[in-house]
Formats: sequence, structure tokens, C-alpha cells
Amino acid sequence: MSLQPHYFPALGFGVGLRTVHFAHLLQQPARVDWFEIISENFMDSHGRPRSVLDRIAERYPIVMHGVSLSIGSTDPLNHDYLRKLKRLADDTQAAWVSDHLCWTGVAGLNTHDLLPLPLTEESLAHVADRVRIVQDVLERPLVLENPSSYVTFAMSTLSEWEFLSRLTDATGCGLLLDVNNVYVSAVNHDFDPVEYIEHIPADRVVQFHLAGHTNCGTHLIDTHDGPVIDPVWELYRLARTRSPRAATLLEWDARIPEFAVLEAEIAKARAMFGCVGWAESSSPTTSVVTALVGLEDSAHPTSTPTVPHPALCVAAEVE
Amino acid sequence: MAAESLAQIQRWMQAVIQQPDGDGSERVDDVILPSRSLSSRDRLQIYANAYFARLLEVLTGEYPAVAFAVGEEVFAEFALGYLNRHPSTSYTLAQLGGRFPQHLAETRPPCETDAPDWADFLIDLATLERLYSEVFDGPGTEDSAAFDLGGIAPEQWPNCRLIFAPCVRPVRLRFPVHEYITAVRRGEQPTPPVAATTHLVVSRREYIVRRVAVSADEFQLLSALFNGATVGDALSQWFAETPNGTPPIQVWFERWTAAGYFTSVTNAPG
Repeated sequence: MSLQPHYFPALGFGVGLRTVHFAHLLQQPARVDWFEIISENFMDSHGRPRSVLDRIAERYPIVMHGVSLSIGSTDPLNHDYLRKLKRLADDTQAAWVSDHLCWTGVAGLNTHDLLPLPLTEESLAHVADRVRIVQDVLERPLVLENPSSYVTFAMSTLSEWEFLSRLTDATGCGLLLDVNNVYVSAVNHDFDPVEYIEHIPADRVVQFHLAGHTNCGTHLIDTHDGPVIDPVWELYRLARTRSPRAATLLEWDARIPEFAVLEAEIAKARAMFGCVGWAESSSPTTSVVTALVGLEDSAHPTSTPTVPHPALCVAAEVE
Repeated sequence: MAAESLAQIQRWMQAVIQQPDGDGSERVDDVILPSRSLSSRDRLQIYANAYFARLLEVLTGEYPAVAFAVGEEVFAEFALGYLNRHPSTSYTLAQLGGRFPQHLAETRPPCETDAPDWADFLIDLATLERLYSEVFDGPGTEDSAAFDLGGIAPEQWPNCRLIFAPCVRPVRLRFPVHEYITAVRRGEQPTPPVAATTHLVVSRREYIVRRVAVSADEFQLLSALFNGATVGDALSQWFAETPNGTPPIQVWFERWTAAGYFTSVTNAPG
């Protein structure tokens, strides 16, 4: 099954929609092409978050990005969740629906983390079966993201890129290639991020994620709390050259700055490829791909940072 | 050892993330590979640390006034106890803290006097903070036309039942915690208030949660209507319990209507 281009319009350059920017976005136009939402923040909302989303969706394309599909879990799929997901996708005319290659819990529990799978033939068959079911329910292809991970399993027999390649061949799903996650996992698991990207089927990549991370000295954590670092920009340059039609999205989920900072950061991606649009910033400084693997020089945090969860950012507004 | 199934691995991993020193922790080195920089155990600990830290952050975000009142360390203990007893079973973090007020009530130390105490204060804080969350993102009436009671004929009033907007919640508390919560949210350093029975109506207009303190008399009548009594029955009950009262009923109804508490009216059988 091949990807049908009409399912995945070329959206350009976008950022994640976060509640701290609601007031700004309602008052002035955003210098971005589209927004990605965290599906779970809106699928049950009857209040201000949903109201703002509806207004944003009138002006910009929306992509839905979930954190609780738990496509790799051995628990049954949650069909109530899937129905709500589809309804939100229909309501917002979402360009596509994505989630992560992960599981979030078993035995009826949700850890609210993106837990890694052992990469085995059993896992591949299991996930492929569930992707097919989800696509049937959603009546559209699913897009899956490579997660950042902090452990590898002794029982794994496949590389992550091999797993994703075979999964998309088997199911027709699209790929959301998180370039920062590739870098984080490459450092944490001692593999070559360039080799990873070169083995990902470029024609299956629908979207890229860019984000910052935290260097803990012995490992990296995907904290989404700062600008994209140069080695990740270089990986992005490589990845987008291979998949020029894929949309690009900047994630920023902790220590979220003013919206103008996000606009400037995503403008760097646009400028890198000479795309016409909102760009005013210069392209990022260059570094060599051969220097990508390893822990970049920066101050290490004194305490263990929390892996962020973008679904945190909803607080009641009380007068 | 026979190869473990995916289901077995997932049950094991979830258990050791939630209880790093619990059953199964002795198998970490067999299941998880070390990296160049970290042992298998250290790598898995990243998930264990993140699990509690993330959920603690969610609870702190929903219950900032409880967290302020007891301090960071004690709140973390409360949260740990709560998460152990009520781990998340929902796809949404909006449900994570839903039973926290009830949990505090169930695990509170025994009362030493009849007077409201510190535990009651914390339970009231949690109750109102949760109510704010539910009203903020729950169903509202922003897309509905304002309801006017003026169209009801006088003879129909006694048998009328008023239908409340889904975002209206009358709540009786033992402390004026609404003022304390507001102060915390403003970044102030409030001191705990003295106990005083407090009647609030929490509602939402234009997507902002509003809370109004009302008198005990007004609360009594509004609560009766909220609980489904007809206007006639609610007033009869009110006068029976307040024999010398002269309620400013018209003022109350005008205020409630202006605040958007009602969406419609039904007529009970006469």
C-alpha cells in the first residue's frame, strides 16, 4: 500500500498550539503555516481550549498529534478514545492524525509516558495489526512518530528504522520523523543518527518534528524546553532534503517562551531551504554531520529534568 | 529461559517503573541493555523518575493552593499516596486528579474536635480547585441564547422546575477557601483563613470560571432548585426552615438569571 499524496497536503512550517499562546493568537496573525494540537487536550474539552481551537482552525490547517493511542500496548485498543479522536479530526478537518510508536500502559493503567517497545517480530506484527484497526476506525492513514527512548531491550532483534520501514510497508501508515528524537536516541543508544535517517523510507515521511533537549551528561532527555541545537539542524537538513514535501513542526513544551520566539525558530527551518514565507532569520550555524554523535558541550542540569508532557498545559482560568 | 512475550515484558516494565524496588527489579540487567554511559538500572530509572515527576507536576498544576498550603515536600507525599492508590486509568490527564479531594477525605487523620480543622481546610481547598477544573473545561452555555424567566406566567411559577446550566455548581465549604485560592493564583503568600461556613456558586461565562459567595439563605433556596425541587416546593421548604425570614426572592432570581444559571424551565404536573 503506497501513501496517497492527497491524504497528506504539503503544509509547510508550523508550531504546536499551546494554551499560553491563546491570547496572542486570538489578537494577531501567526507567522506560521499551520498548527499541531495535542489531541487529548481537546477531544473532551467543552471550554475555552476547544473554543480557541475552533477559531484557530478557521484560519490555519490543523494536524492532530496524540500521546495516548498506545499503539504498542498489549491492552485492547480503546474504541471510545478512537471514536473521540475521529470526531475531533472530522470537526477540525485535521490534515492528518499522528501518535507515537510506543505504549503508555497495560492492565488498564496509563503511565502517561511514551514507553519504548522491544523491537521484535512479535512487536512488529502486533503493532501492524493495531495500526490497521485504527486506520479503519479513523478512515484515514495513521502517522507514527519515532519516540525518544532511554532504554534498549536485550530481546530486540530489529533496529528502529527497520521496524518503522517494515511497519509502514505493512500498513501504509505515514511517518512523523522527529529529528531531535533521532539525535537523542542516537546518543543514548550509541547509534549513528545519519545512518538512521538514511534508512528511513523518505517517501513515507509526512512530517518532521524539531525540538530542544537537555544534556544530562551521561544521556540526553527530550525536554522540548529550548531551541534546536545545531547538530539537530544538520540532521534536519539531511532528512528534509530526502523528503522535501514533508511538513515541519517545532515543539516547545516546557519553559515556553513568547510566541515570537517560536516564530523565529521555525523561520530558521524555512530559511534553511530558501522557502518563501515569513522567514526573517538567518539559517542556523553550520556544523559537520560527522560530529553529530556525542554529547554536545553545554552546562548539565543540577537536577534530573522532567520529561515533559504537552498535555500538562491546561489550567482553569478563574475570575 | 523461554522468550518472554510482549505482554509479559510490558507488565514487568510498568511494574518496575511504578515501584523501582518492587517485585521484578532483580531482572533489570537481564531485560535492559546498558549503554556506554549508563547501567541498565540507571537507564530504567529515567522512566521511573519521569513517571512520578510528571504526574506530580500535573497534580501541582491542578491543586496549586493545596500545594502551597502544605509545602512542596508534603504535597509530594500526598501525591505519591494518591497515585499509588489511584493510578491513572484514563487517556487524559484531565482525569488524573479527579479523586484527589475524596482521597484526602478518606486518608485524613481522625478529627480531634467538632470544629473544622486543618485537614478540613485542605479537603475544602482540593474540592474547590477540582470544581474549578471541571467547570472550566466542562459543558457551558456560551453558544446558547440567554434564558429569560419573564415569559413564565405567574400561575405557572409554583410548578416550574428550573433547569440549570451544566456549568453551575453550588458548593458549601467549611472555610472561605476561594479567597485563599485566588491569592495563591495571584502569587501572593496567604495565611490560612479561620473556619467560616462559606456558600459559593461556581459557574462559567465567556469561558472564564466565576465564583460568587452568597448568603446561607440564598444558597438554601438555590440548592433546593438545583436539586430539582419545583419553585413552589423550594419556597415552601425555605419558609418552613426559616420561619421568620423575608427573602428578597425577586432580587435573587434577577441575579441568578443575569448570571446565566438557568437554561430552561419545565412544568411539573400540577
